[in-house]
Amino acid sequence: MTTYEGLMHGLSVALHPSVLVYSLFGAILGTFVGVLPGIGAMAAITLLLPITYYVSSEAALVMLAGVYYGAQYGGAVASILLRLPGTPQSAVTTLDGYPMAQNGRAGLALFTSMISSFSGSMLGIIVLIFLAEWLSGVATKFGAADYAAMMIMGLVAASTVGSGRPAKNLAMVVLGLIIGVIGTDVNSGLQRFTFGRTELMDGVNLVALAMGLFGAAEVISNIRNTERSTPVARIPLRELLPSRAELKRLPAPILRGSTLGSFFGALPGTGSTISSFLSYALERRVSREPKKFGTGQIEGISGPEAANNSASISAFVPTLTLGIPGDPIMALMLGALVIHGVQPGPMMLESNPDMFWGLVASFAIGNLFLLFINLPLIGIWVNMLRIPFRWLYPAIIVFISMGVYSVRGSSFDIAMVAGIGIIGYALSRAKFSPALLLLGFVLGPLIETNLRRAMLISRGDPMVFIERPIACVFVVLTAALILWSLISAFRKSQ
Amino acid sequence: MFHHSKLSCIALAAICAAGPLAAEDWPSAPLHLYVGFPAGSSPDTIARLVAEPLADALGQPVVVENKPGAGGVIGVQQMLADKNDGLSFAVTINGPLTTAQRLVEDLSYDPATDIAPVALIATSPLVLGVTSDFPADTVAGFIEQATENPGDIAYGSVGHGSGAHLTAELFANEAGVELYHIPFQSYAEVTTSIIGHEIDGGFMAPSAAMPHVEAGKMKILGITSSAPFPSLPDVPVMAGQSSLPEDFRAELWNGFIAPSGTDPEIIERLNSEIVEILAMPEVADKLLAMGWQVQPGSTEAFATRIAEDTALWGAVIDGIEARQ
Repeated sequence: MTTYEGLMHGLSVALHPSVLVYSLFGAILGTFVGVLPGIGAMAAITLLLPITYYVSSEAALVMLAGVYYGAQYGGAVASILLRLPGTPQSAVTTLDGYPMAQNGRAGLALFTSMISSFSGSMLGIIVLIFLAEWLSGVATKFGAADYAAMMIMGLVAASTVGSGRPAKNLAMVVLGLIIGVIGTDVNSGLQRFTFGRTELMDGVNLVALAMGLFGAAEVISNIRNTERSTPVARIPLRELLPSRAELKRLPAPILRGSTLGSFFGALPGTGSTISSFLSYALERRVSREPKKFGTGQIEGISGPEAANNSASISAFVPTLTLGIPGDPIMALMLGALVIHGVQPGPMMLESNPDMFWGLVASFAIGNLFLLFINLPLIGIWVNMLRIPFRWLYPAIIVFISMGVYSVRGSSFDIAMVAGIGIIGYALSRAKFSPALLLLGFVLGPLIETNLRRAMLISRGDPMVFIERPIACVFVVLTAALILWSLISAFRKSQ
Repeated sequence: MFHHSKLSCIALAAICAAGPLAAEDWPSAPLHLYVGFPAGSSPDTIARLVAEPLADALGQPVVVENKPGAGGVIGVQQMLADKNDGLSFAVTINGPLTTAQRLVEDLSYDPATDIAPVALIATSPLVLGVTSDFPADTVAGFIEQATENPGDIAYGSVGHGSGAHLTAELFANEAGVELYHIPFQSYAEVTTSIIGHEIDGGFMAPSAAMPHVEAGKMKILGITSSAPFPSLPDVPVMAGQSSLPEDFRAELWNGFIAPSGTDPEIIERLNSEIVEILAMPEVADKLLAMGWQVQPGSTEAFATRIAEDTALWGAVIDGIEARQ
């Protein structure tokens, strides 16, 4: 089957009424769970999984996938309006989205996020159609040393994301790295900083950390707020649209973000949270006005949102073509495929063309649909700001608790959110950037396991980072990045 | 006559007083079935496959509760923390009952005294998968390679103390060879690393290896069950090959357990229902498609299996600790 035939066949599967209905239902549900802070695609897919036993395998998978990419659209809404990221992936969107909303441009921020999400997904789908085989080949060539070198570059590149003083930013990254150390050491099986709690053996729960740092902390800081709600004027739809000059600023960050996202999504274990951070860092680097980031720059929204959406599409590359899930949600999707008798892997294109091309076609239809339902919804989302705080914030605490509990049914994690929320409040009062803590937490364990694994495989020879071509490229790039920062700092001081 | 019926009345009263959980009115409320792994994982799918017909047989819903974490230990802990009223049970893999007491500090329960085995559900062997160009095609050839180059063959596992790690160590002990351990976190990472020729091989679930074997990117040398596995009839059994003993066997399993102190009548009832469920062809077929073979058996047989495996893996862990 050629790519064209496959795609046409896929469209016939995806446009079949029974499949189409499930696809649209999944996408809408995904948007809503994405909007609610804490409740993410993971929880929704877990709840839907038992129901899928009763529908056809194509309908089931198309629905679950719809929840997954739909959540990427919704995640930005609460980030922009309330500085409460609906999902960890959209934490970066708070950096410029929330200031924009504060300046009375919430509608524009939401429009930028929707159009960037859509463009990112579409570019991700094109990558999935044409480069899936090539990308899966690349993914198997990445060894532990290559991952370690790449992650270290990512950490160096993204450490400048925060807008505060460099020393404060560094402190947050390091704190994140330290929190990432908690849990079972993979190499020796020993427990680190778990204080005898089995709940901490697998590490601190990412959703609990993100919701505590952003959600609970934001609620606490609003207790002091005496105003009943943010004043919002009714915005006619026309004014949501960007001006011609603003529109011109969109394509470049979207393209850069989608490229980053497609690449990182296809590498198992890296995922969309990292790609949105890196995209933000990249936009700041290439911008002529990096100082303005953090005050409401369009590029600070469009790049990361395009990146996390394209990553959520290209994450299907290793899942479908190698049978290797890149993150826990993909592992769940893989489980769903297996339950429905489809074994993802190198043979899937031949053994289950219906499923593969049906999914690809449904991505395109689902995203188009999401764009059309989300643009008119912007007006409704903005009205969320009219809800008095005394109603809104208690409701948010309830949603956060539900969302965190739904990840693994642990009341311990809810207590964690409360504790982390207090720490997060203290940090934000002292003008530290919680986004950088999250970055350190996400990257730390990846760097550690891959670095130690690379050293184990090379039997303790650090030359592996120079000898492996991929690792070598990243090491050189990291060195160049550090050198560049030093030189520009030196020039400024003169 | 009068005397007799009075006596039987007293006897009846005594039985009634023995507890509200007399087998005839059990279960009076929904059962809670804890699983220490997330939805969609194989222990979860197995639990749900059993829970549905079990609910039909008992006339009460069986609610599967996923409490993932710590290699399945949290699921067992949650079952024990629940009120011990004859309604809380768990489906668990072997780890939390056979190796957790050695590998997890502050386990908070003792598998030997706090758990009442109900029934073994299914077992899964592991296969030895290696790179497509590995210089051997049989287990004997693999052992030969390992003997000639001690410590050179690098194998991946899904973490320190995991079934894949302990099976490889057992294999190395029994074959008298030395292998080099690289811990990973999932079979997906292990197979990627094998395909990328970073490591030489590893013991893994058949379902993790088969797609890559079919694509010609990996090969399977042998299987750890004592008889050929029904869905992989061509893969030779390791037992008896080269220096491996005839009784070599290493399997993962999933079993149905209760907190100790649960009414023995309830446990017997559950055991007989589960044995009947496992005899249903559609249940056995679905499990086999996932790489699991049904193992209907008595409560006593399950208890023996737990004791045997605790001793087997305990000895392997002793060896690992002695080398550290």
